[in-house]
Amino acid sequence: MSRRLIAALVAAFIVIVVAFNALYIVTQTELALVLQFGDPIKVVREPGLKVKIPFIQNVVIFDRRLLDYQTPDEEVIASDQKRLVIDSYARYRILDPLHFYQTIGSEQAMQARLDATINASTRRVIGNVPLNALLSDQRAKIMAQIRDEVASETKSFGIEVVDVRIRHADLPAANSEAIYARMQSERQREAKQFRAQGYEAAQGIRAAADRDRTVILADAERQAAITRGEGDAQSIKAYADAFGQDPQFFAFYRSLQSYATAFDANTTFLLGADNPFLKYATPPIAGSQH
Amino acid sequence: MPWTNQGKDPPNGPNGGGGPWGGGDHGPWGGGSGGNGGRRPPGMTPPDFDRIMARLSEWFGKLFPPGRGRYFVGIAVVVLAWLASGIYRVQPDEQGVVLRFGAYNRTTLPGLHYHLPQPIEAVLTPKVTRVNRTDVGIANDSNGASVDVQQESLMLTGDENIVDVNLSVFWVIDNAKAYLFNIRNPELTVKSATESALREVIGRTPIAAALAQGRTQIETDTRSLLQSILDRYGAGVKVTEVQLLRADPPQPVIEAFRDVQRARTDSERLQNEAQAYSNDILPRARGDAQKIIQEANGYKQQVLAQAQGEGQRFLEVYNAWKSAKDITSERLYLDTMSKILAHAHKIVLDHSAASNGVLPYLPLQPNGAPSIRGQAPPRITPPAASTRQTGDAQ
Repeated sequence: MSRRLIAALVAAFIVIVVAFNALYIVTQTELALVLQFGDPIKVVREPGLKVKIPFIQNVVIFDRRLLDYQTPDEEVIASDQKRLVIDSYARYRILDPLHFYQTIGSEQAMQARLDATINASTRRVIGNVPLNALLSDQRAKIMAQIRDEVASETKSFGIEVVDVRIRHADLPAANSEAIYARMQSERQREAKQFRAQGYEAAQGIRAAADRDRTVILADAERQAAITRGEGDAQSIKAYADAFGQDPQFFAFYRSLQSYATAFDANTTFLLGADNPFLKYATPPIAGSQH
Repeated sequence: MPWTNQGKDPPNGPNGGGGPWGGGDHGPWGGGSGGNGGRRPPGMTPPDFDRIMARLSEWFGKLFPPGRGRYFVGIAVVVLAWLASGIYRVQPDEQGVVLRFGAYNRTTLPGLHYHLPQPIEAVLTPKVTRVNRTDVGIANDSNGASVDVQQESLMLTGDENIVDVNLSVFWVIDNAKAYLFNIRNPELTVKSATESALREVIGRTPIAAALAQGRTQIETDTRSLLQSILDRYGAGVKVTEVQLLRADPPQPVIEAFRDVQRARTDSERLQNEAQAYSNDILPRARGDAQKIIQEANGYKQQVLAQAQGEGQRFLEVYNAWKSAKDITSERLYLDTMSKILAHAHKIVLDHSAASNGVLPYLPLQPNGAPSIRGQAPPRITPPAASTRQTGDAQ
């Protein structure tokens, strides 16, 4: 009884060990490479529960997802000698685990390789374009060129580089200071211009208003002078029409009117006794012959 | 006993009273039932578990020989518990993705579901309706307050200026399978792609546009570029919204930018003041002009009326005079002279007195030279001549 039990337990243990060694799971996110005595014999792409020959074969698992890699900051010189601090990221996936396993082995080694490749490619491509090309629609084209170069250079490792994109592309700190200074001076220029333009427009408005006022008043004066002249002319004509009836009588009549208004109480008359006005008054005063 | 204290309604119910299957005396379901009983409203009578257990033991005892039955019960409980571990619940904001031996098997919708227990099947429940947020340029510090991350937020514009940009991307999981299995670090990927896309878009936008009217354009461009990048990665992510939170000049130059704004306002103010001046003086000038013109019109009417009146008066007098010329002339003359001489100083000099050496003494009047009249004006001397004489004397 007890020996049978021990035998059964041992058998069960062996079965379990063998089963665990023969069965393996490839998940949805993995690729498996089956090695027989270290020699790769097949690639398993379908996820699920898989069987292998226990102890003879073993399995290396690779991630089949899109893998990420982020390069550190690198100082790069553009073709116009401007310095840039660039960091990029790469997205790649393992297409051929066999190649990958044989040429590079691990993801860590792959990242070191990618870093060198991206760095070299970035320097080459950016070194051929001026900075302002990177700051334009050409940026996408430049990134595509880097991506294509990196992709073709790393193809032999069994990977597919899906994308290499520049994340940051900034000027070094010292250059930033210069840019700030320039931005500041540009803004000062702009501010001065706005103020001066405002002054210009304001002066224009004031001057136009002053001119309009002068013109309006002068026009009015002209019209007034003409009107007054018309009035004078018409009144002269009216006078002439009336007085022309008898110029002699007019002279007499008008003279009398003028005397009445011209001589006032302060006027002293020195009348000769022979004055026609006194012709009837002489005898009582001086006994004249009149 | 686990259920004796249930009248006090403990919050979670007693846990492990005797263990799920450890206490042989109380039966395998003692703990579980006690747990359920804990949630029962107070006042309800607990079922008599001792009796139920006794009956179950009896039932098992009939099925299996006594002694071994205990093992079967234990095994059955373990198997049942294992099978029951496949029950899972998908929350309303989740999708269930079931893997069988690591391979994608099916997607389930919210609700209660069952998968074969581990290690055969497993379930992942990504939150597919939750809107995720990825920020560029800001981060939350340990207290949850947002802090500016200059390294992320400062970037070059298309005209080689530097702008300080904060941006938030809102995204949802569009395809749970793709999101889970296609990319490693999807959130990091969204972040990196966002930064790259934003910098590409800002890198072709001049600073003036980035600070003002180009903001909407930046948002839409970034969104479409980001979406196309993520689609190329097969990320299973849908970008729902891109919000440009802040686009400012960098701190060292912000004062200069503000001064430009002030200059604009100053400019407008100067122009408004000038316009006010213009609006003030022009209506006044027009009013003055009307006054001048109306005065002239008035003058014209006045002198004309005067002339017509005078003329008419003359004609009236003339017509009357014609009928008795000599008499009327004499009368008019005398009337006038008497009126004049009534108030004036007058000195009458006889010829004889003059010849006797009487000299006319003409006192200077205080207001000027005396008026000298040798004789009364002749009848037809024009008045102008005599006025001129007076003027000369003065």
